[in-house]
Amino acid sequence: MSVDQVNPNDESKYAASARAFRDNVSRDLANDELRSNFRGAMDYLVDKRKTALSDSDELETLREQCKLIKQRCLVKLPHLLEALEEKLTANGIKVHWAETITEANEIIAEIIESKNGKTVVKGKSMVSEETALNDHLESRDIECLESDMGEYIVQLAKEHPSHIIMPAIHQNKKQVADLFAKNIEGFEHTTDVDALIQQGRNVLRDKFCNADVGVSGVNFAVAETGTLCLVENEGNGRMCTTVPDLHIAITGIEKVVEHLSDVPPLLSLLTRSATGQAISTYFNMISHPRQQDEKDGPGEVHLVLLDNGRSQMYSDDELRQTLQCIRCGACMNHCPVYTRIGGHAYGTVYPGPIGKIVSPHMLGLEATTNLPTASSLCGACGEVCPVKIPIPKLLLRLRQESVKPKGAPQVMKGQGSGRKTSEAFIWSVWSMIHKQPLFYRTSMWFATRLRFLMPKKLGAWTVARSAPKLAPKTLHERIKEREQAAKGK
Amino acid sequence: MTSARNNILSKLKSQVKDADYSKLPAEQGFNYPQQSFSEQLEQFITHLENNHAQIIKLTRAEIGKVITQELAARNITSLLYGDNSQYTQDIEQSDSSITLNKYSFDFAQHKERLFNDTPAGVTGSRCAIAQTGSIVLWPTPDEPRTLSLVPPVHFVIVDAKTLYPSFGDLIEQQQWADKLPTNAVLVSGPSKTADIQQTLAYGAHGPKELIVLLLNS
Ligand code: SF4
Repeated sequence: MSVDQVNPNDESKYAASARAFRDNVSRDLANDELRSNFRGAMDYLVDKRKTALSDSDELETLREQCKLIKQRCLVKLPHLLEALEEKLTANGIKVHWAETITEANEIIAEIIESKNGKTVVKGKSMVSEETALNDHLESRDIECLESDMGEYIVQLAKEHPSHIIMPAIHQNKKQVADLFAKNIEGFEHTTDVDALIQQGRNVLRDKFCNADVGVSGVNFAVAETGTLCLVENEGNGRMCTTVPDLHIAITGIEKVVEHLSDVPPLLSLLTRSATGQAISTYFNMISHPRQQDEKDGPGEVHLVLLDNGRSQMYSDDELRQTLQCIRCGACMNHCPVYTRIGGHAYGTVYPGPIGKIVSPHMLGLEATTNLPTASSLCGACGEVCPVKIPIPKLLLRLRQESVKPKGAPQVMKGQGSGRKTSEAFIWSVWSMIHKQPLFYRTSMWFATRLRFLMPKKLGAWTVARSAPKLAPKTLHERIKEREQAAKGK
Repeated sequence: MTSARNNILSKLKSQVKDADYSKLPAEQGFNYPQQSFSEQLEQFITHLENNHAQIIKLTRAEIGKVITQELAARNITSLLYGDNSQYTQDIEQSDSSITLNKYSFDFAQHKERLFNDTPAGVTGSRCAIAQTGSIVLWPTPDEPRTLSLVPPVHFVIVDAKTLYPSFGDLIEQQQWADKLPTNAVLVSGPSKTADIQQTLAYGAHGPKELIVLLLNS
């Protein structure tokens, strides 16, 4: 399929749910069970991270180092991507490029169809969530099964992940048990987590054994060696990349690192920030398809590199920092907003603080204009981010982008879509008044004298607060009075 | 999709035309305190045990006997092992009550057997990492990837002499950047998940048990 046939405007299904952000929030805030599931989970993860990163000297040195590694790799990004492609190709791994989610899905479906693949097992991949790969493959009669336990639960529930590391964090064990009872044949009812996992394991082992294709994500793609690195605990990633004869990996273009030696510090902060583990159970490094005389492993390995808004982030020095992200999830674990509204309210693939700064590039600011405003700017996300992304600053920047006037230089898709004429008018009057001392003093005099006209209800502001009350006199007046009184003494 | 490739690359390149790599700031890693060998070994064992691996210290001559005991304790009567590998002969010293199966077949033809009829497997290891309690598997045609992945019990033989302080040291000293195998895996415990209500459960998809046979002479 040529690019011309692909409609680059094909809107992600997540655009509509992101537009419904405010309604989603009201819905989820009213759900007590959901809120207690998130509270419990976030407290747990915050605690784990704290224990694993207790030495603040080490933590800050590593954060600075990891930030600089990612920034170096980003400055060199186009060259590293070319080097990666060259190395992977020499290693026997085929590389594909996709600008849009539709292109990526198309590429993957075609590879699978060319091998007559009918069944796919998937390791955890947020990028494939981004492209809604499962929907696309199902529409082409290719069965797609999530194999990460959390993803499997979410797929059975016909939902999408509510957290990038722990996809089913919004469900408790009782809810999972009910879900399994409905979906797994011969399920023996239990709410014992070990027993639940064992029953899930049995279903999935069978699928691993018989699947034609394995699809996975990538945590780091090493340009120097042509290596795809996967971080995981369950072993499903190893299964997906080892057992089926065809392995297709999909990742964003920002995941490339220059050297193999860049990996250990990034890996160390990734797992400790994410789940408080010194390292994940498995760190899987794939550099070739099956070689002659090897007895197992996929005969073919492919990598799909996806843009989907990333080159737009790249085109602005400040916004480029968004691409430093290593998807650890720490920012959401520490976010007071995420902890309360949960992951689904955002309506996007990536929830929480990182979601608020990447989604506007993926879905456009028109669909996501509310997201950057859903923050108290408390700064917790920026403080814990292992690669020091100044998330609060980027949120402010996106707020600005969303109200930019027409005709401003093009920075991102949907910029200016949050601009309201009335609001813009109010602010221009405000700025005019504040620039002219005479105007300012006169209007303040009137405002204080007419304070009884101030309404008691001010829309959304007074839903949970009382309306502000103006002082009877301006500060200027009071200081003047005080000075005069002092002189008079 | 060459046009997608060109579009992406040219967009990116237009942004960094004038980048001067020599101006990139110096990157500083953290200096971990030096540790003696016994401290490192202790760290390695502690990490693995915290991650639910079982560690058995033994000599090379005891490998067969210990494997026999451990299998018997689990009522397992067969073991899959690699051909021609470093410890093949030591493994073959195990008791005749254990049926030893060599991985001398093509995986694709014996998938079912491996998934359903292979309760335990044993592999060697290339080296180990103290800082994170990790064992480096470097599968070969003799000890294929699935040998350490599919059987529910994985015995892994680790020589304490191959212990490195950290992953970074290992990559540098063994010059991994020059030559990586088809697949290399760092294993730091049995398969696990906390995906249901943050409750740890072992044996999600990979081995439920990791038994480390630690050679320390
Ligand atoms: S923005 Fe930072 S804290 Fe959030 S997921 Fe990315 S790397 Fe982790």
